[in-house]
Amino acid sequence: MALVPYTHADHQLTHQFLVEEAHLLDTLRFDDWFALLTDDITYVMPVRVTAVKSVDESTVQTMHHFEEDRYSLRKRVDRFATKYAWTEDPPSRLRHHLGNVRTFTTDDPDTLAVESSLLLFRSRGDRNEPDVLSAGRADRLRRTPDGFRLARRVITADEAVLRTQNLAMFL
Amino acid sequence: MIDIAALTAPIREGLVPAHIYNDAAVHELEVERIFGRSWVFLAHESEIAEPNDYVVRHIADDSFLVTRDRSGEVHVMFNMCVHRGMQVCRAERGAATSFRCPYHAWTYGNDGRLLGVPFHDEAYGGEDGLARDGQALLPAPSVATYKGLIFASLDPDAPPFQEWLGEFAYYLDLYVDQSPAGMELRGPQRWRVKANWKIGAENFCGDSYHTPHTHASVVEIGLFGEPKPNKRKEGVLWLAGPGAGTTYKLPAGGDRAADPFAAGMRYVGYPDEVVATTRQRWTSAQQDLVGRSGFMPSAATLFPNLSFVHNWPEVAEGVVAPFISLRLWQPIGPDETEVLSWFVVAADAPERFKHDSYRAYLMCFGSSGMFEQDDVENWVSITTTAGGRMARRLLLNSRMGLRHDGSAVASPYPGFAGPGLAKQGYGEANQRHWLGLWADALGTAPPVTPSVAFGVPDGAR
Repeated sequence: MALVPYTHADHQLTHQFLVEEAHLLDTLRFDDWFALLTDDITYVMPVRVTAVKSVDESTVQTMHHFEEDRYSLRKRVDRFATKYAWTEDPPSRLRHHLGNVRTFTTDDPDTLAVESSLLLFRSRGDRNEPDVLSAGRADRLRRTPDGFRLARRVITADEAVLRTQNLAMFL
Repeated sequence: MIDIAALTAPIREGLVPAHIYNDAAVHELEVERIFGRSWVFLAHESEIAEPNDYVVRHIADDSFLVTRDRSGEVHVMFNMCVHRGMQVCRAERGAATSFRCPYHAWTYGNDGRLLGVPFHDEAYGGEDGLARDGQALLPAPSVATYKGLIFASLDPDAPPFQEWLGEFAYYLDLYVDQSPAGMELRGPQRWRVKANWKIGAENFCGDSYHTPHTHASVVEIGLFGEPKPNKRKEGVLWLAGPGAGTTYKLPAGGDRAADPFAAGMRYVGYPDEVVATTRQRWTSAQQDLVGRSGFMPSAATLFPNLSFVHNWPEVAEGVVAPFISLRLWQPIGPDETEVLSWFVVAADAPERFKHDSYRAYLMCFGSSGMFEQDDVENWVSITTTAGGRMARRLLLNSRMGLRHDGSAVASPYPGFAGPGLAKQGYGEANQRHWLGLWADALGTAPPVTPSVAFGVPDGAR
C-alpha cells in the first residue's frame, strides 16, 4: 500500500466521498447513505480494551459493537424509517467531524484504502451533556461507473467504555 | 438520613417512590447494603480459560482482580496494593504470572501472594518489621462459582451461594448450561448510560408489557415477530427465589407431539447438535418448560444486577437464530450505569450456528442492538425526570395484576413446569418481587466487617 499524494485526483475524490458521506449522516439521510454501500459491504467495529503494552492487542477480535453486512445495515436503516424508533425521535443532533484523511493504493487498481479520524458529536434533548465519540476508520472504497462506493469499514473506537447511550447511528 | 421503613413501605403495595431512580442518598444506601452484601456476578470461567489469565471487574466502586493461577484455581482479590493503595493491575484483561505495583514494585503472584518487597531486609528489617511471608492481596470476602459463573460478595458471612440461589437455579441453567462442553462468553461490550441501574434490572425481570410498544420498530422491519401485543401476552411470567423472568408461548402443532422439546428448540433456530447437548444438561423438568409446557425463556434478572436475554430474530433472509446474552447493570452513580453485555453460546455448538447466533445478538442487543437502543432512551428519560422535587411526591403505579382489594387478576398458570409463581399474561408481580428483594436488602443493616492491618502480627483489627 502506497500513500496517494494529497494533490492526486484519487485522494481528492476519496476525501470528497467521506465529506459527502458525513453530510448525509449528519442530515439523517440514511437511504441515500445506504446507496453508497457495495453489495458485499462489511462494516465492523471491534470492542477496544485496556491491555498492557506488551500484549499489543487492544481490540478484541471476538466481540464487536458492529459486525454488519448489507442485510443487517438495511434493517438498521429501515428501523430509523419506522414511526417507532424512539431512541432517535426526537433525533440526536449529530456532527461527524472528519480529519487526517489519507488514501493508499491497494493491489486492486479499482480499490483504494482510506484512513480517517472521526469525532462524532451527539447532542440529545436539553438536559444531559452531549456525547463525543472518537474513532479511527479504515475504509475500502471501490471505483464504480457511478463513483466510489464503500466496500469495507473498520471502526476503531478510542474508548474501552463508550460514553453514549447506544450506537443508534453510523460512524 | 433516609427513613428506610417509610421509603420502602409503599413499595410493598406496588407503589414506587419515583425518586429512588435518581437519588444520591438512596444510591449510597444501595452501595452499602445491596452491593455491600449481595452475591454479584464478576466473570465467567471461559473468560479466564487458560492458566494465568485474568480480568478486572467491579462490585459497585470496588475493583477486583479475577485470576486463574498456574494450577488452574480461580482467585478474586481486591485490586489494591496493600502498601500504598495503588491499583496492582491497570489493564482490564490479559495473562500474567505476577503483578508488580508500578509505585514501589511490590510484587504479587496471580494467586494474590506477596512475592517481593524491594529492600525488605534493609528498609523494614525483614520479617521482624514487615510480615511478608504468607501475606497476600485482600481476597474478596466470599467467592462462589456456579456453572462457570464467578460471583463474589463483600459479606464474609454471605449465605452459601446455591442455598441463596434456590429455585432460580432451574431458570439460570436455561441460559448458562446448554452443553457438557460448557458455555463460551464473548465480550463484554461496555458502555455508560445516564440511567439508574435498577430500571434495567426491573425491566428484564418481567416487563413483557413494554415489548410490543417500545420494540414495535423491530417487528415492523421483520427482524423479530414475536413481540406483537397479542403474542407477547401469551407468555408466562415467573418469579422464583432471588429473581424473575419472562417467556414466550411456543406455537402448537407441527412436529410438537412426537418430541415437543426438540420441536420448541428447533422452532427458535437451535440446530440438532445444540438440541442434543442441551438435552444432556437440562433435567427433564427443565426440558418440560419448553416441551410439555410449551414456553421459551426470554428475559430474566437475578437480584441484584445480573440479567439474561434470549430471543430469536431473523439474521438473514429466512434464517432464524436464537442468541443468549448476559448483562450486568454496574452502578456508577444515582444517574449513571455502566452496562456490561456478553454473548453466550454453547462452547461446542457448530461454527455456523455460533456465527448466526452472534449476529442475532449484535442486531438485537448490546451497544448497537436494535431492541436495546429504544430501551435505553426510555431509561435515561426516567432517570432524568426522577431527579427533581416533583418526583419526590409521586408514587409510581407498579400494581399491574392486583385489584384495589389486593386480589390477583390472574391465577397461577396450571401445570407450569418451572418452580415458583408463574402467571400467563401481562403483570408486574415480577417487578414487585424484585423491588421487594431490594427493600429487604435496604432494610437490613450492612455486614460488620473487621478492618485488616497489613504486614503486622495479628492483622485483624
